Amino acid sequence: MTDAAAAWGWMAHLRDGGTTPWAGWSGAAEPQGVVLPGAQQLELLRRVNLVGRPTSGLVEAVLAADPPRRTRPALPLAGGVDVPDHGPRPVDPTDLADNELTRLAAVLLAQQLATRPVVEPHVGRRRPWRIRYHLLGDPEHTAPLRRHLIARGRPPGGYGGRVLVLGTDTGRMLVDLWTTHSFRNGALPWRDWLAVCVRRGRLPTSLDLHELARREIDRPVPNRVHVVTDPALASRLLGVRRGPGPPQPMAASAVDLGRRVGAALRPLALPDRRRRLLTDVVRPLLADEPGLPLVIPRRHRDWVHDEAARLHRQLERGRYPVHGDPALVRPVDRAGVEAPDVSVTLALAIRLLLETEHQHREEGP
Amino acid sequence: MSHRVLIHVGTPKTGTSHLQDVLFRNRQRLREQGVLYPADRHDAHFLAALDLMQLPWGGLENEAVGAWDTLATQVREFEGISIISHEILATASRGQAQRALASLGHPDTEVHVVLSIRDLVRQIPAEWQETIKHRREVPYARFLAQLRDPARDSALGAWFWGVQEVPDILDRWADDLPPERVHVVTVPRPGGQREVLWHRFSQTFGLDDLDLDVEAERANPSLGVPETTMVRRVNIKANKIVPPAAYRPLVRELLAHQTLSRRVDSPRLTLPPDAYAWVAPLQQKWTDVVRQRGYHVVGDLDDVVGAPPPEPYADPDSPDEAQVADAAVDAITALLVENARLFRIEQDLRGELEGAHRDLERAHLRPTYRWREKTVRRLQHSRAGRFALRVYRAGRGRSSRSA
Repeated sequence: MTDAAAAWGWMAHLRDGGTTPWAGWSGAAEPQGVVLPGAQQLELLRRVNLVGRPTSGLVEAVLAADPPRRTRPALPLAGGVDVPDHGPRPVDPTDLADNELTRLAAVLLAQQLATRPVVEPHVGRRRPWRIRYHLLGDPEHTAPLRRHLIARGRPPGGYGGRVLVLGTDTGRMLVDLWTTHSFRNGALPWRDWLAVCVRRGRLPTSLDLHELARREIDRPVPNRVHVVTDPALASRLLGVRRGPGPPQPMAASAVDLGRRVGAALRPLALPDRRRRLLTDVVRPLLADEPGLPLVIPRRHRDWVHDEAARLHRQLERGRYPVHGDPALVRPVDRAGVEAPDVSVTLALAIRLLLETEHQHREEGP
Repeated sequence: MSHRVLIHVGTPKTGTSHLQDVLFRNRQRLREQGVLYPADRHDAHFLAALDLMQLPWGGLENEAVGAWDTLATQVREFEGISIISHEILATASRGQAQRALASLGHPDTEVHVVLSIRDLVRQIPAEWQETIKHRREVPYARFLAQLRDPARDSALGAWFWGVQEVPDILDRWADDLPPERVHVVTVPRPGGQREVLWHRFSQTFGLDDLDLDVEAERANPSLGVPETTMVRRVNIKANKIVPPAAYRPLVRELLAHQTLSRRVDSPRLTLPPDAYAWVAPLQQKWTDVVRQRGYHVVGDLDDVVGAPPPEPYADPDSPDEAQVADAAVDAITALLVENARLFRIEQDLRGELEGAHRDLERAHLRPTYRWREKTVRRLQHSRAGRFALRVYRAGRGRSSRSA
């Protein structure tokens, strides 16, 4: 048996749902194409097979997928088909890092989801007596409240009105902002993103509640500004008895996968559609994933405490009403992880690949 | 259907900017002479390449969605010769290259692949310099170490070999093309006349007999050792605080291209002497592959045998600090001039804004303003009121709805 026959045999085995690692493979088959797919594609298919039975469409999609162009290209199998002296060197697929497989899985998920229809959000009939408002601050709190109000006939904007600047504890706000960025354009990894914030030396503008309020007050035609540190109070300030309920922080790996899919969607969909796909299709798929949320890594906690203390002092002295205790912006200790575990992200990506493909098949083209 | 399609897929730093500039500026003349260069903006083929390879590029990918299909459709519908050129196509995967060729009409249409190549002795330093001009902070020695790492698992290594490994690029793009339809254009040795390269391109693309303006307006000028080091140090200090949108015009364009590239007397960036022993056999192997496969070579494959190491070697990781300081003074001066220009603009805008604020405040201070505002708001709440407002505005002769 030649090495090439073994490699093609392994691919046929994986196509049939096999899960044997390349190192333990001993079968053979005739070539089923001109070029054998790369080690990344074959290993990802093996991992998918370990979790469930993929459709033939998903199998072919995995085998044909291209790793992102700024990463290693499809790599030859070590001990497989003969390779020339040039080009990438062969690898044993079991040596591939989870990160490399997760990147490929995110590309596949993005391809699966890019064509999904986006449902228009419900817009309620406009209430003429509504309070005109603008929402600023922690995007994980403002976005659901805005959606809630739009559905009840209270869209934001309009002449005059009040500006609500929503916030919560500073550590949570930073996690929230990264979460929102991840589901917008695919942000930097959490640690890198936070390191950039720390190096800039100030909270991001959209989380600096005092600065946001001050800007609104200093407009030529000042707006009536309310800072809200207890988001549960926000809906009543806007004339609605019940709000959308406090948003639960998402599991770290769910956001990490959203970030990767967001990045992979960038070349596939125009910005508006991409944003809608991420918020209305990708995010709901990941929203209820169990798992611990992110927390501020130990090395940056002092900086976050200092920034929160500064914000607390400024809120106490501000020329605007503060609803909720200003001390609520001080970070609180909560259970969480300092960074997403990429093996959990990969497992989640594989499960979603299987689920969305089966769902797609049931719904039909 | 096109009679013939020539797709130029790289490599970077082989005079591609000049070629693309000539083709773009002459696209109308070319069309009149039966040659299509399908581009409505100078970076049209770059966007198409981003789309084909699904490659994010600092937000430009937003303008690239669907660009390859548009380009391919234009090519398929044209009766004549079509030319496509962009150097980042070199990194396309085999599947992407096959999709590209099929979308251009292959195998029914006569598709030719063109690859321009230059010796690694010049390509490696040029790629590092390009990397630095794209905000990277990696020292030259680490860059070289990443290239030499056989695992190629760094982003820089993966990108470099993707766009520079000649036999691999040809495997991906030209595997099922007859060798006479694969054209390898060599860049002349250092010191050669610039026109020689243009003549080689012109011969390859069949432009020799056409009436064209070949004076280039766009080019990608190179920097010397102290200048590149200075930009790298700027990157280290400023990357985390200067957003990408500001970096490109201020650092890449103003500092690197418009200011530092004019300092032509500083030592040029070259390979370190100990890297020649690694590069020479590699280059030889690549050249042998091109020869063995019988591709159409335009120029001379001996051109891509690198020049011997210069004496003395100027190491960008341990540069002559006086030269770096000189470059920094030029950079600061250029930034001051630019700042002065922006300062003038800011003053003008500030004046206009203050005027607008004064007008706005005057409008609010008028005693009738509150009363009028309240009346308009009240009227807007009822259908009859809105109708009355419309009648009033129509009668008054201009709309104030946006006020």
